[in-house]
Amino acid sequence: MAELDEHVVAPARLKLMTTLTAVSEAEFVTVREALEVSDSVLSKHLSALEDVDYVKRRKGLHRGKRTTWISLTPRGRKALSAHVGALRELINGIE
Amino acid sequence: MLSNMESKPTAAEASTALTDAEASRAALAGGIAIPSWFFTSLGAAIALQIGTTAAGAVAVTVWLLVGGVAVLAAVAGVQLARFRRLNGVWLGGFASRVVFGTGTVASVSYAAALGGAIWAAYGSRWWLAGLFSLAGGGAYALSGRRWLRTYRAEPAVHARGESAAWLAALGVVAAAGLALLLLNA
Repeated sequence: MAELDEHVVAPARLKLMTTLTAVSEAEFVTVREALEVSDSVLSKHLSALEDVDYVKRRKGLHRGKRTTWISLTPRGRKALSAHVGALRELINGIE
Repeated sequence: MLSNMESKPTAAEASTALTDAEASRAALAGGIAIPSWFFTSLGAAIALQIGTTAAGAVAVTVWLLVGGVAVLAAVAGVQLARFRRLNGVWLGGFASRVVFGTGTVASVSYAAALGGAIWAAYGSRWWLAGLFSLAGGGAYALSGRRWLRTYRAEPAVHARGESAAWLAALGVVAAAGLALLLLNA
């Protein structure tokens, strides 16, 4: 059976990374509203995922204001794909 | 409210987490809005660019060729900036497939319309050249709408577009094509 990724196993991180696959890059507030979490919760998960090079943050502008743009890294995309595969095996009862 | 699940999830928990994550992705993709007049202005700019290229090639008028490309570039740039501002996201697939026309329908219809317009212009059948231009612009806009539907159905598959290097290569090919048109005229 494929291994679950310890960095993505928290539902919040799975949701964050899966949501990011719908875009090339998303602005911080857009992601926060999509996930319905607070700034601090999102920042905490982003920091953890950034530490393992699964997401990337960069400073930029949105509607004239300084903000953070977030994207998945190729490593994060690969890790998410493997993790989702492992979850599907678990759901389907494959040992 | 999101929570941390430190230990290995059960099948039910895994199913719930995955369903929730996919619903969030679908909601984000479904909420992507298109700026007003987006497809109309893009289609019109493409039609204008095809028409001016055909007319410029026959009349050997550089300003017509460059003018059409400049208007298209300006419309594309403004509409992409509006899209990003409106949605708070950047969608590479949208930029390359819808705006730069790298999708199959957009690229084939554009090439056919451009070829037809130039052929008609060389025969001084200007009404036909205009018709080809309008058809090319219309098909381009419609292919963009079609891409949006496929994106919303499978956002993870269609979100990313071609690489910047690939788009740059296409730009070089397009510029070379324009130069050849002028040299052969």
